[in-house]
Amino acid sequence: MTALAIENVTAAIGKIPVLRGVSLKVAPGETVALLGRNGVGKTSTLRAILGLLKRTGGTATFDGNNLDDVAPHKLSALGMGYVPQGRGMFPLLTVKENLTLGLRGAPDPEVMADIYRRFPRIEERLSQAAGTLSGGEQQMLALARCLVMKPSLIMLDEPTEGIMPKLVTQIRHEISEIATRGISVLLVEQNLRTALRLASRVYLMERGTIVHEATPAALRADPSTVHRYLGVSL
Amino acid sequence: MTALVLALAVNGLVWGLIIALIALGLSIIFGLLDIINVAHGDFFMLGTVFVLVLTMSTGSYWLALALVPIIGFAVGLVLERVIIRPTIRQASLTIVTTFGLSMMLQEGVRATYGAQPRRMAPPIEGTIPLFGIDYDVYRIFAAAFAALCLIAFFAFLTRTKLGTWIRAVRHDPETATALGVPVVRICAITFGLGTAMALLGGAIAAPITTVEFRTGVDILPFCFMAVIIGGLGNLQGTVAAAVLLAVLEGVVTSVTDPTIARIASLGLMSVALLVRPHGLFSGATR
Repeated sequence: MTALAIENVTAAIGKIPVLRGVSLKVAPGETVALLGRNGVGKTSTLRAILGLLKRTGGTATFDGNNLDDVAPHKLSALGMGYVPQGRGMFPLLTVKENLTLGLRGAPDPEVMADIYRRFPRIEERLSQAAGTLSGGEQQMLALARCLVMKPSLIMLDEPTEGIMPKLVTQIRHEISEIATRGISVLLVEQNLRTALRLASRVYLMERGTIVHEATPAALRADPSTVHRYLGVSL
Repeated sequence: MTALVLALAVNGLVWGLIIALIALGLSIIFGLLDIINVAHGDFFMLGTVFVLVLTMSTGSYWLALALVPIIGFAVGLVLERVIIRPTIRQASLTIVTTFGLSMMLQEGVRATYGAQPRRMAPPIEGTIPLFGIDYDVYRIFAAAFAALCLIAFFAFLTRTKLGTWIRAVRHDPETATALGVPVVRICAITFGLGTAMALLGGAIAAPITTVEFRTGVDILPFCFMAVIIGGLGNLQGTVAAAVLLAVLEGVVTSVTDPTIARIASLGLMSVALLVRPHGLFSGATR
């Protein structure tokens, strides 16, 4: 049983291929990290799953649905959440408008109460323009906006990028909390320590394809692979 | 002399509010779809023609005024699907396609409605004394109604889900899609709304202007100037600039002639582009 499975997915930006047969799986409730240097295709993989980048080959399924048959804007209703790189704020919309943007009806009071309990600063700033929030607050809002939709899978693209170190711990805690609720997480992350701490499985990408799959423990025991594909030392 | 200047300034304000409605339609289409809609002035012209034809066939200007924006919305939806969507995100191509559309609309109206300019009797008769001259009551009504429509549009944008979605898609269509916003439908609705606003502007203006197939040709540059001076895609700025330009032209016309007034508007636009290239009102909420 898989929540998300993509097989041999290819995609191009213009005539330049950016994904050259990407295959990965995320099981229900599992946290999987997708790592790689800048420009190897991590964000493109997420965008191809979401249909924001046209898939030119391969298959993608989510909770048993063939994603070729689902319009990109309907994926969130199926339970696929997305926190884009750079947080994807609508800076001139209020915090409340950002938070409830994807909802068609009134928000679930229980879900909202839970979100306000976890992110009290969001409730304090509901009528404020989202662009006036700090980077960390915006990241919290992006996470909360995703949770309002009651997702079964959340794809997070560089959630700790550009965030104050003090807040990185809180964001890490929130992601870990999301996983304990049985929500699957596909995490794209430059911060290797964060990724290894949160994920139960790690994929390494290079030049638009998956080149290595391992558990965090196995990867920690294999510094040469880490150095080869990520250019860093553990 | 002062009375004449004030009366022409009021006249400018009346026109400014009507043109603000039309320019706002142009601005939301540009802001959301990156389309430089050369046919927008012809949508205004369609509004004047439709309201005249509908008034003659139904006998009621007010019924025609209610019907024209609905027809405009439907026309906008069809044109978006057939002409705009295939060329979307290709700004230069949309200039060519909307220019072709402009020609088709003008020639279509000339072929069916005729080339003869016509005038329409104002639905509200009478005048009121204003700064020493007798001013048409209908013009006051037209300005108030246009202002009401502008307020209603901004309330729609800020207080409804659809309006919030339009503002979100203007900023980041990709993230909006990922959050479940039906971006393709929002783009179609926005084009429909922009078209409806131009036709509504035409319906309001028809009793105080000439109704003919080339009426839109004069309006289009004025709308573009309002959009540029207000700041590209800045909706509140567009409205403010349209009123400012119309009042300026009204005042300058009172002391010289309309050609000099238009030159003054172009001069203002040049200065605005030099001093504040993002628009005179670029600090306003977009």
